[in-house]
Formats: sequence, structure tokens, C-alpha cells
Amino acid sequence: MEIIIEEISHGHKLLSRQKFASNTITIGRGYDNDIIVSDPHVCPEHLQLQFNGEHWLVNDQGSINGSFLEGSKENVIQHKVSSGDIISIGKSQVRFVFPSHPVAESIAISPFESLINLARHPVVLALSMTLFAFIGGWIINLNNANEVSLTQMLVPTIGLTLGFALWPAGIALVSHLTKHDARFWTQMGISFIFFNLMWLSDIFENIVHFNTSSNFSMLWLLTIIPLLLAFGLFWLNCYVGFHMTLRRRNVVASCLILLLFGGSFIIQMSKQPDFNPRPQFDTTIMSPAFIFAPSSNVETFVNDASKLFDKATESAKEDSKE
Amino acid sequence: MKSIFALLLMCFSTLSFAVEQAEEIFKQLAPSLYQIRLIDKASGEKSSIGSGFQISSDGLIATNYHVISGFARHPHKYTIEYLDNKGNKAELTLKSVDVINDLAIVQREVPNEMAFFEIAQQPPTKGEELYSLGNPHDLGMIVVPGTYNGLKNESFNDRIHFTGSVNSGMSGGPVVNKATQVVGINVATSGNQIGFLVPHDKLLALYQQYQESPPTSIEQQMAAQLMQNQEKLITTIMNSDWQLKQLGRGLIPTIDVPFVRCWGESNSDKADAQIMAAVANCDLDENTYISADFFTGSLEMEYRYMESDKIGSTKFYHIFERQLNQVAPGNLAGKDDVTEYQCHHDLVMPQTSNINNKAVFCTRAYKDFPELYDVLYIAISIDHEQYALLSHFTIAGVAQETSLAFLAKFMESVSWK
Repeated sequence: MEIIIEEISHGHKLLSRQKFASNTITIGRGYDNDIIVSDPHVCPEHLQLQFNGEHWLVNDQGSINGSFLEGSKENVIQHKVSSGDIISIGKSQVRFVFPSHPVAESIAISPFESLINLARHPVVLALSMTLFAFIGGWIINLNNANEVSLTQMLVPTIGLTLGFALWPAGIALVSHLTKHDARFWTQMGISFIFFNLMWLSDIFENIVHFNTSSNFSMLWLLTIIPLLLAFGLFWLNCYVGFHMTLRRRNVVASCLILLLFGGSFIIQMSKQPDFNPRPQFDTTIMSPAFIFAPSSNVETFVNDASKLFDKATESAKEDSKE
Repeated sequence: MKSIFALLLMCFSTLSFAVEQAEEIFKQLAPSLYQIRLIDKASGEKSSIGSGFQISSDGLIATNYHVISGFARHPHKYTIEYLDNKGNKAELTLKSVDVINDLAIVQREVPNEMAFFEIAQQPPTKGEELYSLGNPHDLGMIVVPGTYNGLKNESFNDRIHFTGSVNSGMSGGPVVNKATQVVGINVATSGNQIGFLVPHDKLLALYQQYQESPPTSIEQQMAAQLMQNQEKLITTIMNSDWQLKQLGRGLIPTIDVPFVRCWGESNSDKADAQIMAAVANCDLDENTYISADFFTGSLEMEYRYMESDKIGSTKFYHIFERQLNQVAPGNLAGKDDVTEYQCHHDLVMPQTSNINNKAVFCTRAYKDFPELYDVLYIAISIDHEQYALLSHFTIAGVAQETSLAFLAKFMESVSWK
């Protein structure tokens, strides 16, 4: 009966696969074996498989380090092979599969996949990176009170773009190292599209902050946007770079979010002084072009301001209780 | 030549005469003059010193509030002690304070009636020779002759301008005329022979009030005084003439009273500046000392006009935004004295004027003085692409009503020309 023997890594990643039609198969480091394993912990004659007409039987050939069925500590002697058995020899592993072994259902190529591949299209990629560099340069210019010439702006802008490119490059490297397809350009394309979206959401957030008064209580909704965007980015990074189940992908993306935002939140909290003598308020000021909200009159403002006194008195009372 | 010599001789003789007279005054009054010390209970050492003088036969001693402020704020931490001219020490009890005029009355125990300083009934005349007594730098009692120069013009609560060197340890010491009557109390110096005194009538009022009805609690007395003073100050300011002055293309209010002084600065001399900026600020030239790290009673207004035709509107406002981050309170106060600020912000356009502002108002409450607050307002105009006007004020130690009335008037006074 035919048998398929796979050499696999410790993480059960396939290294090689062979199909045999003979009734005796030998595995070992010696060149006379049917399967030659170059692991120095494997003996020249290590393992033998034999078909007795009904079953495949596997035998350790008296090797130094032994052969063990996965999950057991007993040396393999006259073991009856069932499809999918994994046996450790030295520091390597082999897996035996019969031709009748069931396989997972085929996955259709989703239109989503082609959408993702659009991100790596040279034109799209160039466009999103240029847009990123452009916005980056603009922000650098805004933050510099002095006049900035184009050449002065060029170096920090390129630096910024390269710095942000490290993220997709890093992911591609990790997926390459874990024996996945690196898909570097796809990662780049996706990441830069999301970086741009984050910048747009930043501008949107500023406009909302600028237009709303402190009476507007839904402002916390705005903090969800960058969270969602970051989740989307990490999720797609995982989708492109690694084969993992949907559940696992969600968990990994959520954990990254927690690490990134939770971490920065904790750092911020730890920097908060015990008592801040300076007033804290929303300082967003933009050009008149971004005003969409109507202005209040003085009476309304004074009325709103009067409510602060009660709040301050309350907090004075609370503090004196402590 | 002879005449010059005679003139020199005359100067010398008046000088030596003044010194002789000072010595005489010192000898006469020395037993009623004290060094007042604040003793830290935990370490047993003095933490601050000042001067004081007896104003009644039964042992009432006048000094500055700021000399004994540590005790007034933390009675459990300190004791007050006097040291007389013979080196005797004993404890004093705090009887009454006037935190606005920086005065305090403490009492020593006296076995029998003692000599004391008499408080003058009349203010001195301009140019009159006065003698300031006190204990600067812990060196022992000294007499400093000087001249009465009238009341300080720029001050809301009266202060005498005294030409003579008042040093820090002389705080609380009396200033007497030739008849040895107290006409003022040493309170502050701005160096170079310029000293400031609390006029005698403030002490007289405090003394009489104490005799009629001594305060039940120093803290409540202080709270009432602070409340009354802010009421008086803000009412005076609200009823004064608010003059509109031009700053760039804006109109800003300044208050035409001598105790609010204004200053201005601009960068119009720098032709290559990206932004043309002009700043005007007005402030009250005094504040109220409550403790070394807690001041109140201050008022300041600031206006900043910026214009630029060299940079884009977005960058212009981005630079302006950074100025908002620099807002700081106008007075010093710590965690034990005040709460953190509570703020409100909104876009505001006064109905009466043509300016659209992003406005922020913040307030914090005093922990020991109920219904007193520090307030802060800042607004930036956001209705023109290339120029904007910032208007800002802070007031320390005000009540809700008065500060809101001021806020409304201030907001309605700032406009475009």
C-alpha cells in the first residue's frame, strides 16, 4: 500500500514530502536509506517501516537516541501506523500519511484578496507613499515657526517616510523568518494606505475639536476612530503575512492594540503630576475655513462658565474630606 | 569757595543732628520694640523673623501679617515668640489680622502696665522726616531715618512711599515721626532707598475693631476680608472708565485707574519677522500675601495681536495655538490652597461686536476660603485668515458673581475696529 512520508519542523511546518509504493522503507542518516535525514542526532540506520499486507509497522533500529511517537516516551517497536502519526527521531520529526487521509475543504480566492493585491500595484503604492510624504512634510513645516525651504524639509520628510516603512518591512521579515510568504510590497501598500487614513482621521478629529464646545459630550467617540484604524491595519498585516485562523487574527490584532494604546495610556497616566497648577483645556485653533459650527453669545458662555464654580467648589469639598 | 565750604559744613551738621535725634528716639522706644520670631515646633528653631511694637499698656503688639503668616495658616506647626531689647523671650498669642493691609495684632503677657507706642491721629506731611525702626538681618534693633513721600499712587490699598532703606527683617517695625507717634508700619521695599509702609489709620482701624469685637476665628476673619476686598476692587474697576485702545486692527479695553498699569511691546522693528506681533498687558500693581507659596488679589489683562502675510492661514493659526498651551495662572498657589482648574470652551461671538472668538474660561476654588476663586479667561479670534487677536485676563481671589460680571464686560469690550 502506498504511504506518504513528510519531514516536518517542530512547528509542524512541512519541510519535504515523498510518496512510496514499496513495502519496506528505511529512514536514517546513511546514504543507503530511502529517506536521508541530515540531523546529526539521527543514526545511520534509524527507523524502518514495513507493510505486512494489512498494516504498516514501524520499528526503531536500535538507535542511540530512540524514536518516539508524539506524546509518548516509549521507544517505537512494532508500532502499527495510523494515518497522521508523527514520530520524533533525533531532533527531527517525520509524519506518516495514507493516501486516504482527509484534506481540508478548498478555500475560494475571495475578491478581498484581489483588493489587497491592489495595494501593491506600483501606481497605488507610489501614490500612497507620496501622499504620506507630502502630509508629513506639511506637518513638519507647520510645526516649525520659522520659514522652511523645500530642501530643508526634504531630509526630515524622507526620514519620516523611511521610519514608517520600517513597520511593514519588519512584518515582512517576521513572516519570512516564520516560513511564510514575505509579501513585502503588499505590506508596504496596506500600511501606507492606513497611515494616510490615520492622518486624515487626525485632521478630522481636529476639526471636530475646533468646532465643538466642552458641552459636547460625544467627543469620546472620536477616540474610537484611530483604534479602529489601527485594528484594521494590524488585522490586514496578519492576513497578508501569516496563515492564521480568523479568531487568532482578531486576537493578535486586539492584543497589539492593547499593547500600543494601553501602554501609551499607562505612560501618560504615570507622568500626570499629583497637582497641576495649570489649566487643562482643548487648545485646538484652526483657520477660519474650518469653522462649521455657529457661535454662542456671551450670555450662553457666561451661563456655562457659572456651572464651573459649582464643580470647583465640589472638588474643594472632596479634597478637604480626604 | 568759602560759600561752598559753608554749605558742606551745614550739610554735615544737619546729618549729625539727624543721627543724634535717631539715637534719642531709639533709646526712648527700645523697650516697646520687639523682634517677632516664628518658631518651628518640630525643630525648635526660628523659621522667620520680623519686627513688632507694643501698641497698648496691656501687651498688644502690632506686626506684619506676613511675619506671622506661617502661624495663621498652620497654628499647629509653629509658635510665635518675642525677643525684647533685654533678651527676654516669651510666647505670643495671635489676636487679629488684616490680610489685605498686611497687619497682625499679637499679645504678650505683661505683669504690670508698660510703655507703648502711640498711634498718630494725623498723616505726616510730605517731606517730613520719619524714623523707621526694626531688626534687619537679625543684627539687632536699628533706626533708619527717611522721608515721607505721600501715598503710593499706583496702589489700590493705600501704601506710604517712604524714602529710606527698609530691609526685609524690619517688616512689622514702626515708623515714627519726631513726636514718636507711629505713622506707618514697614511692609515692603523695592530697593534703592524706596520703602513702603502701611499707613497708621489701617492699624488704628484694626486695633479699634479688635477692642470692639475680637474675631472668633482668624481663618474666617481672613475669608471675610478677602471677600470684601475683591468686592471693592472689582466694583471700582467695573465702575471705572473702560477705554478702548487700538491694537493692530483690534480694539481692546484698558481700565483708566491709576492702580492698573499697562505696558506694551512689539516686534515692528524686525522687518524679516514672519509674523508681526504686538502685545499689551495691564495689571494690578499689588497682590495679597497669604503665605510664602500662596498669593491672591492679583488682576492682569493681556492682549496679543498677530498678523502675517508671509505664511498660510493654517500655519498662522497653528503657531497661535501653541500660545494657548502656555497659559498659566496669574498667582502662585499650591495643592493645599486651591483645587485644579475646571474649564469651559466654546466659539463665542458677542452680539454687540463683530469678532468671533474661541473662548476658554477656567476657575479653581480656594480650599480654606469658601466662595473665593481664581479665574482665567483666554480667547483667540478665528474670523480672519491672516490676523488674529488674543485677549486674556486672570483674577485671583474673586467671588462667582463679580468674576462673571467682569467676564461679560470684558468679552463685550474686545472687538475689531
